[in-house]
Amino acid sequence: MSDRYNFSLTTFSPAGKLGQIEHALQAVSQGVTSVGIRANNGVVIATEKKSATPLIDDTTIEKVSLICDNVGLVYSGMGPDARVLVNKARKEAQKYKRVYGENPPAMVLVREIANIMQEYTQSGGVRPFGVSLLVAGFDERGPSLYQVDPSGTYFAWKASAIGKNMINAKTFLEKRFNDELELEDAVHTAILTLKEGFEGEMTENNIEIGVIGGGDVAVQREAGTAVQFHRLSPVEVKDYLANIA
Amino acid sequence: MEYATQHRATEQAIQHRFDPYADNGGTILAIAGEDFCVVAGDTRQSEGYSINSRYAPKVFKMKNNVVLANSGFHADGVTLTKRLNQRIEWYRHAHEKDMSAPAFAQMLATTLYGRRFFPYYSFCIVGRGMVYGYDPVGSYERYQCRAAGSAQNLVQPFLDSQITLNGQKDAQPTPLSLADVLCIVKDAFTSATERDIYTGDYIELHIITREGVETQLHPLKKD
Amino acid sequence: MVGKNCVAIASDKRLGMQAMTISTEFPKVFPATERTYYGLAGLATDVQTMSELLRFKVNMYKMREERTIQPKTFAHMLSSTLYERRFGPYFTEPVVAGLDDKNRPFICAMDLIGCINFAKDFVVCGTASPNLYGMCESLWEPDLEPEDLFETISQALISAVDRDALSGWGAVVHVITPERVVTRTLKTRQAVCLC
Repeated sequence: MSDRYNFSLTTFSPAGKLGQIEHALQAVSQGVTSVGIRANNGVVIATEKKSATPLIDDTTIEKVSLICDNVGLVYSGMGPDARVLVNKARKEAQKYKRVYGENPPAMVLVREIANIMQEYTQSGGVRPFGVSLLVAGFDERGPSLYQVDPSGTYFAWKASAIGKNMINAKTFLEKRFNDELELEDAVHTAILTLKEGFEGEMTENNIEIGVIGGGDVAVQREAGTAVQFHRLSPVEVKDYLANIA
Repeated sequence: MEYATQHRATEQAIQHRFDPYADNGGTILAIAGEDFCVVAGDTRQSEGYSINSRYAPKVFKMKNNVVLANSGFHADGVTLTKRLNQRIEWYRHAHEKDMSAPAFAQMLATTLYGRRFFPYYSFCIVGRGMVYGYDPVGSYERYQCRAAGSAQNLVQPFLDSQITLNGQKDAQPTPLSLADVLCIVKDAFTSATERDIYTGDYIELHIITREGVETQLHPLKKD
Repeated sequence: MVGKNCVAIASDKRLGMQAMTISTEFPKVFPATERTYYGLAGLATDVQTMSELLRFKVNMYKMREERTIQPKTFAHMLSSTLYERRFGPYFTEPVVAGLDDKNRPFICAMDLIGCINFAKDFVVCGTASPNLYGMCESLWEPDLEPEDLFETISQALISAVDRDALSGWGAVVHVITPERVVTRTLKTRQAVCLC
């Protein structure tokens, strides 16, 4: 019994590992797959949106979340934990905006989120978050994609995948990714990556896609129009799916 | 016991206060040139945040061709002007000549000081060849240029720099032409109108030369 | 004061307690970054404390975000720093002047609790502010070149502080251009009042 569970706060094992964090990662790897790709003019993040029963109204499920104008994220793992993190991230973004009068750069916001996740590995009476995040951002340094894990580790990626099928998805992305990729192609690649391990038929209602950037970003930035993160509507997703088939 | 403690005297003496003054705002200025003198004022009359009149002159040509500008409490200014004109008239009857500018300047000072303990609330500037500036109780001084009124703080440093060439070490003070002075006056009022809510509507200019006094009216912003 | 691809910021050098002059070499303009300067008029202890606090915040920002703070961002940070003390304020009125990363001029002023005034031409604060408004409103014009901007801001400041008993004893002017910051000191009347 005591080998398999750990009810105390996160403590080191004699082997130097934190069991709770490993378990949290385990929870993530049981979650549905999410992918993210950083193109040269934007970022796409995408995930599956499968419900356990057809009786759930899946139009109400939202797994891709807007954090602030220029940052959005998607998760794999435990939905409720992710919701809490999204709330905290949004609050951090607004706190930044309140002080500096502008949206936070993706790097700053990611670090804030990662700090929160780290705090939950070291505080009493709490457990780590059972989610990994893919954060898509766009700021003066261009597009960026970050992955944040339950331990609070974060890295910037060109393309990444988390969740159940992450190993296969990453292998797929390694083959497909190149530095000249534009956002439109990146969306296609993201869908194809999801399709790799997809059970059943993929429709506009069982995947979810968020994008930021696209078009001639240099022109947009010069004109001062902010780059806006947004979730694709089912109609838009359907168009992409039609193009692939 | 309880009833007894609750019963306390609440009457207080009702105080009345007599406040016969108001500040009607507005800005005036005068500049002395080589052979001319310009006295100008805006024509707005206000009280608090309301405008009483967009054309209420506060620069007056007196009967001896001296020009008197006053800002502060308008009614006091008007009364003062009336009394001074009366004194000018009496002077003419007694001496069979017009009162000179220095004489008028001195008379204004004594008139103001005569009301030392119930002053005319009026900041005066007098111009004819030379410029004199006053405080409400008659302290006065001769100036080359002088501003007074609600935008005094805005206008006086500008006149210092443009007329007396304050802070310009290498600048040679050349006599200013009438045209230059008129430009400076208009600029001063346009700027004052931008930042002072009590200044605006029109500038009324009096140009005093050997030939007499000419009056001009120029529009200012009315907002 | 804004010029063509340049900004200028200036202050006098007097420190006084009411009518008494304490120091005649008291800097009130500080660099936030290489191209953003700010001035603080008001209570001397708060001027010094604020400048130290802002230096700390600017350095923290630089390390946290791995970039230099832009004048506009700096102004917002300053504003919220002031508003944090809404009911026990620092008695300082700041002005900010700088060039942003695209060399666009930025200036603003705020009151002691951080209400920002973004102006496109000029901003003023301190005991001589009515005088400065009068001067700037008359002397300033759009698209001044750095040298003309220097002359304009200097003349405006000199004439304004000479009519303010609480200001004077020399002045410092910084002109910020994309290439460099030129700092000059001016001599004004070395006396307390004009009488």
